[in-house]
Amino acid sequence: MEGEPFDRRLSRADMLRLAALAAGAGVVAGPAAAADAAVARLTKESGRLQVMDWVGYENDMPHHAMFAAYLNKHPHNKPLFSHMASESDALGKFHAGAHPDLFRPYVGWVKYFAKSGLVQPWNPKLISNFKHLNPFMVKAGQYHGKQYGIPDDWGFDAILYRKDKVHPKARSWGLIFDERYKGKIAWFDDIGMITVAGLYLKAKNPWNQTSAELDRSVKFLKQKIKLTKLLWAYESDLWQAFRAGDVWIAYAWPNDWVQMKKKFPVVYMHPREKPVAWVGMFMLLKNTPRPHLAHAYVDAWSSKKSGKWLEDNYGYGHANTQARPSSSQLLKALQLANPRAVTLPNAYLDRDIPQRALYAHLWEQVKASG
Amino acid sequence: MRLFFALVIVFLYAPIAILLVFSFNKAVVPSFPLSGFTLRWYREFVHNGSMRSALEASAIVAALSSVVAVSLGILASVALARRGFLGKSLVTALLLSPLVIPFVVLGIAMLLLFHVLGVSPSLLTVGAGHIVISLPYTILVLLPRLEQIDASLAEAAYDLGAGPFRTFRWVTFPLILPAIVSAFLIAFTTSFDEYAVASFLVGPRETFPIFLYGALRFPSQLPQVIAVAVVILCGSLLVVIGAEVWRRRAEARIEAA
Amino acid sequence: MSWLVLFFVVPIAIVGAYSVDVFVLFPGPHGFTIAPWRTFFSHGDYFPLFVKSIEMSLSVSAVVVALAYPLAYYLALSGTRRKYVLLLILIAPFLTSYLLRVLAWKVILGSQGVINTFFFWTGLRAEGHPLSFLLYSRFAVVLVLGYVWLPFVALPIFVTLESLDRRLLEAASDLYASRLQAFLRITLPLSLPGVVAAFLFVFIPTVGEFVTPSLVGGTSGYMYGNQIVDLFQTGFPDWETGAVLALFLLAVILALTLVFVRFLRVGEARPT
Repeated sequence: MEGEPFDRRLSRADMLRLAALAAGAGVVAGPAAAADAAVARLTKESGRLQVMDWVGYENDMPHHAMFAAYLNKHPHNKPLFSHMASESDALGKFHAGAHPDLFRPYVGWVKYFAKSGLVQPWNPKLISNFKHLNPFMVKAGQYHGKQYGIPDDWGFDAILYRKDKVHPKARSWGLIFDERYKGKIAWFDDIGMITVAGLYLKAKNPWNQTSAELDRSVKFLKQKIKLTKLLWAYESDLWQAFRAGDVWIAYAWPNDWVQMKKKFPVVYMHPREKPVAWVGMFMLLKNTPRPHLAHAYVDAWSSKKSGKWLEDNYGYGHANTQARPSSSQLLKALQLANPRAVTLPNAYLDRDIPQRALYAHLWEQVKASG
Repeated sequence: MRLFFALVIVFLYAPIAILLVFSFNKAVVPSFPLSGFTLRWYREFVHNGSMRSALEASAIVAALSSVVAVSLGILASVALARRGFLGKSLVTALLLSPLVIPFVVLGIAMLLLFHVLGVSPSLLTVGAGHIVISLPYTILVLLPRLEQIDASLAEAAYDLGAGPFRTFRWVTFPLILPAIVSAFLIAFTTSFDEYAVASFLVGPRETFPIFLYGALRFPSQLPQVIAVAVVILCGSLLVVIGAEVWRRRAEARIEAA
Repeated sequence: MSWLVLFFVVPIAIVGAYSVDVFVLFPGPHGFTIAPWRTFFSHGDYFPLFVKSIEMSLSVSAVVVALAYPLAYYLALSGTRRKYVLLLILIAPFLTSYLLRVLAWKVILGSQGVINTFFFWTGLRAEGHPLSFLLYSRFAVVLVLGYVWLPFVALPIFVTLESLDRRLLEAASDLYASRLQAFLRITLPLSLPGVVAAFLFVFIPTVGEFVTPSLVGGTSGYMYGNQIVDLFQTGFPDWETGAVLALFLLAVILALTLVFVRFLRVGEARPT
């Protein structure tokens, strides 16, 4: 079928049978439609949908809220989950032979995976909720005009601090580097810290710094890491430390503000150098035997109902512009009333890092000097 | 001195007590103050599908890897218990070497090995890793026992015309059976709780420690996990005590005979 | 014997794995290169991290052996009938999940954990001024690792002390030696091989530890093992540098083991 970005190889026998069916059905329903239906029957995708996702997304009790619609339509193809600890973990697993049908890296990796030959573009026509997705996020999922990533969850990287203990000198990223609060600061364990250091130190393009700028950023981070108490990789680590009073200032996401607000007077500060926005992107692996099922799964995830559930339960934003959380505080923190929230002038949308291997290498060295 | 011992016991059991307390605590995140008594977690964990799957996976890996480790351990110990052969100390060193290799190095080495061989990570690769870790322990348990056994018993069997296999089956094996059971238990418990090597070699199906590590990060399942751990602790205590008692009685009987 | 062939498979798999480690250092497109090794030694951060981890492991091992010795001594030479029961009590915590025991320590050491709450309650510290070094620090890592290894270490020392020939001690007291002299001149030297073995037994795995540091270490408790894991699993896979770090660790440990084993052999050969 032309125009379909993925086609199943059909054997010669299949072709003959297809022709016979088409001939027969064509008498009644017209050739194109008949052929479609025939192909769909013959190439009926079977087996469980193999989803590789971050830890925690598979349970979603009750009733697997995020993909309940998918389960209703395809009860015999329940998703089978494997985990990715990070995008590079997923990459490693692919090279080691794992073949999920789809996975969910974040926006900064879209270009990398698109170029890698490991993935194929989606067909937005098969996703009924596609038209409701935030256009800026949708654009960020494109590469060379093809839709490689379908946006799902999103949020900001900004600063959370306790206003009863902390008095920032300026509305700036400098607060997470502030000498006055030594031992009370938490950073995010990710190369995004190099980007933020670049932002703070006014590099021209923090996502692709020159070697002089990188030198400066890394030196700066190595010096400042001694001010931190911990580097968090999971929100619950951050919450535990924050709740116990071990940490007063943190590089944080909007939901961290919503949760900590329940116990402390906290402020979620968007620095003047601008926060960074992140977006999760579903990507479809090449040669998957279940592309239609994958589209159906993503469609279920993209619905307004799923979006609202995600916002209410995880505190992330959802790409469906109609999804609104119950919490007005979350609405405020995510600036959901502003469809341009993830883009300039409000924030820098996270993007590809051409020197990713180098950034990762340097970040490891920063951690080693802690 | 007794005070010192008592203090150490307190130190050793404080975290266990904490776990016990929090397995009955109402709140999801373990922190003070306590929120009230409940048996809820003990009831709920039975229904947690992914946790059950992880427990099953760990049990399968532990059982299989222990059986293989003990079998290989028997073979190795039998050979090592004989008089020296060429390269005996080298072989011994090689067999016991996993003891001196940090798990992180072992995990990576095996990951790379499987990568080169084109084997994808799965419960089998985890099992292989656990066999490598457990083998030295099984040898350390079996070898002394084999050396203890009166060589004249085996010689008597040979004199009576039994081949090596029959000798082993009817003479040696029953004598070392208690040690085999100990070795199996050690290998099993090591594998069941093993996180470090498994984290490198695990495939799509998680083992229980891997699941646990995830639960630490996503606390909604944490209290159930704590409840399970308490249950496992009690269960294993019973098994270990029982096995040890049985082993001593069995060996005493054998010696007396 | 055919048995020999069978059990060679496992050690060869291990050896094979290490040579693959080395192999990865010279991957196809780059050809044979020692560049990753040069980076390792020259780029200021890896080696100091290694030294830091060695220091922490030494602390753990020293403290644990120092605590375990009196414990094992009491059990082995006190002559109580229930010593095996006590030994079992010592070992029992092992039957709980390692990860959960570490989690429990987080609850104990935190700024609002058991210890700090106790201090607030007794007024030794003012509310709002907890001891913050207890958690997310080197101290926490050393404490928790020590906790985990204590039973493991008590065992070999116990075995060594138990197999001590009591007649030597009787002879000493017959010769009017005080308990302290008997200890220093007889018990201690004879049990030294067991102590050294126990020390090694803790030291070696601890240098490569990464689980405990990741849970309770925070930024300052970050260890060499964490770096290796990171290079393989997070950020961006850099298996080459990771392999270099792992091999270096292995080389140092093998060297240390050989030295200590030599020492043990020499110790045994000395006439009593």
